[in-house]
Amino acid sequence: MPHTLEKQRHIIDFTLASLLRRKGKNGALFTVYTLIVFILASVMFFTYALKEEAALVLKGAPEIVVQRTLQGRYAPIPEEYAAKIKGIRGVMAVRSRVWGYYYDPVFMANYTIMAPESFSLGPGCIALGSGISRMRRAYEGDTISFTGADGKSRNFTISKILPQESQLLSADLILMAESEYREFSGLPPGLASDLTLKVRNPKELSTIAEKVVRLLPDSRPIIRNEILRTYDALFSWRGGLLIIIMSAAVLAFVIFAWDKASGLSAEEKKEIGILKAVGWETSDILFMKFWEGMTVSLTSFLAGTILAYLHIFFTAASLFAPVLKGWSVLYPEFRLTPFINPGQIATLFFLTVVPYTVTTIIPSWRAATIDPDSVLRS
Amino acid sequence: MIKVTHINKVYNAGRPNEFTAVRDVSLTVNLGEVTVLKGPSGSGKTTLLGILGCMVRPSSGRILLSDREITSLPERFLTQIRRETFGFIFQQFNLIKGLTALENVMAPAYPTGEKYAPLRARALESLALFNMGHKAAARVEWLSGGEAQRVAIARSLINNPAIIIADEPTAHLDTKLSHEFMAIVRQLKEKGKTILIASHDPIVYDSELMTSRIELRDGSVITPGSPA
Repeated sequence: MPHTLEKQRHIIDFTLASLLRRKGKNGALFTVYTLIVFILASVMFFTYALKEEAALVLKGAPEIVVQRTLQGRYAPIPEEYAAKIKGIRGVMAVRSRVWGYYYDPVFMANYTIMAPESFSLGPGCIALGSGISRMRRAYEGDTISFTGADGKSRNFTISKILPQESQLLSADLILMAESEYREFSGLPPGLASDLTLKVRNPKELSTIAEKVVRLLPDSRPIIRNEILRTYDALFSWRGGLLIIIMSAAVLAFVIFAWDKASGLSAEEKKEIGILKAVGWETSDILFMKFWEGMTVSLTSFLAGTILAYLHIFFTAASLFAPVLKGWSVLYPEFRLTPFINPGQIATLFFLTVVPYTVTTIIPSWRAATIDPDSVLRS
Repeated sequence: MIKVTHINKVYNAGRPNEFTAVRDVSLTVNLGEVTVLKGPSGSGKTTLLGILGCMVRPSSGRILLSDREITSLPERFLTQIRRETFGFIFQQFNLIKGLTALENVMAPAYPTGEKYAPLRARALESLALFNMGHKAAARVEWLSGGEAQRVAIARSLINNPAIIIADEPTAHLDTKLSHEFMAIVRQLKEKGKTILIASHDPIVYDSELMTSRIELRDGSVITPGSPA
C-alpha cells in the first residue's frame, strides 16, 4: 500500500511538473473552464438563494389573501365581505388592506403604495422605500409630488426612509395614510384592495378557501403556499432559461476542452512513448492523464465556485441580476443571504469535473497503448 | 544472457507496404559483454535492438532472457522486465522537454514507488557520475548535445539495470564527444554492465571495448558475433 501511494505521489508530481510546462495552454483551459463553472454556479446560487429569500419573506405573509374578480379580472373588494368571511368556522381574523401601484412616467418605474392600518406619520407625510429615494434623490424632510387618479399633482413630505434590511419588499414601497391614499388613488370608501385571513388550523387552509368561494362566488382566495409555488416556478424558469442560453457556452467549452485537452499533440504522444519505453505501464500513463484532468477540472471547479459565491453574495449578483430579478426598472439593491444546496454543488461537480476528466482519459488510452518502440523509430 | 532464435519482424503484414525488418536472426548476448550491432541504415539494427530490449515484439521466433522464455509475455510483464533489466539510451536522447535534468533522470523510477528522498539522492549521484551534478536543476532544452546525452545515460542507469541498450549513441555527437561517450562505456563495462550498441560509427564499432561485433544487412546477420 505505501508503495502504491508513493507511486501515485510520483505520478502526481510528474503531472504537476508537466502541467506547468504548458502554461499558455493550461492557463487558457483553466480560465475558460473557471468561467463556465462561475456562470453555472452563479445561476444556481442566485436562483436558490432567491427562492429561499422569497420563502423567508413570505413566511410572515398572510395565510390566505382574498381578492375579488370582476369579468375575470382583479377588482376592489367590498369591506362588508370581511364580516361574511369572519362567520366561516376556523377563520380567526379578517383584515382589509388598501394598497395599489403607481406608475411614475418620468422615471418609467412602478411603485407600490400601501396604506397600513396603523400609520403614525402626520397628514401629508409619507414613508419612502430606499430604492425610490435613491432614484428620485428625495430624502427625509424633502417634498415629493405624485399625480393622483384625478390628474392633479399632490405634494407629500418624506418623514421616513424605509430601512435597508427589507429591501426585497420595500425598495419600491410608499406608505401613506389610508384616507389620503383613497383620495389620491380614487378608491371609494367601503372598498378595499384585498382581505387577509388568519386561520386557526393550517391544515384547513384549502377547505376554508373553498368555503370562501362558495360563500362569495366573485372572490378569489390565494393561499400562501400557492404564492411560494409560483415563485419557485418563476425562479426555476428564469434560472432554466439562463442555463439554456449558457448551454451554448458549455457546448463551446466541451469542443474547446476536447481540442485542447484530449487531442494529444505530437509532442505529448512522443512523451508517452518515451515514458513507456523507460518502463511506465499503460496504467501509469492513464493515471497521469487522470491526475492531469483532475487537477485542471478540480482547480477550475473550486475557483469558479468560489468566484460565483463572491459574485452572488458579496457583489449582489452584479453581472446578471437584471435578467434574473425581474423586468422592473426599479431594481432593489440587496444582498442575498448565502444559501447553498449541497445537492446543487454535487450536480455541478458531476456536470463539469467528471465529463472533463473522462474526455482527457479516453484519447490518452489510445496513445498509452502505442508500442514503445515508436520512440526508437522516431 | 539474452538469446534469440529464428527471429523475424514484419511490419504492416498483409498490406501493400509490408516489409521485413529482421529476417531469421539467431544470436546470443552474454552478460558482461559489450556487443555492437553494425550495418548501414535500414539494415535492421534498431529493430533488433528493440526486440532484444523487450520493446518490440517479434513476428516469429523466440526470446530467452536468462533462460526464461519471454516471447509471449503480456505487455505488463514486458514493461516490468524492461524497467528492471534494461536501461535505454536513444539516438535522439529522448529527454522530456520542459523538465529538469533531475526530473528526467528520476522518471523511469516513478512506477517503482520508491520513496522520494532516496530516489532523488540516487538520481543526483547518477548525474554526478557523469559530471552533470551542477546541471541537475537545468531544463533539458538548455543543455548542449553532450550534456543531454550524459543526462540520458544517467537516466538509463537509475533503476540499476544489468543491460544498457544504446541506439546510435554517437549519431548527434562530434568526434570529441563521441570519444567521451566511449569513455563512459568503458566506465560502465568496468562496473560489470552488459552493453548492447547499435551503431555505424567506426569510433564505436572499431573500439577495443567491443567484445562482440554483429554485422547486419537487409535484416539478416552476415557476421555473427565475431570476437574482438
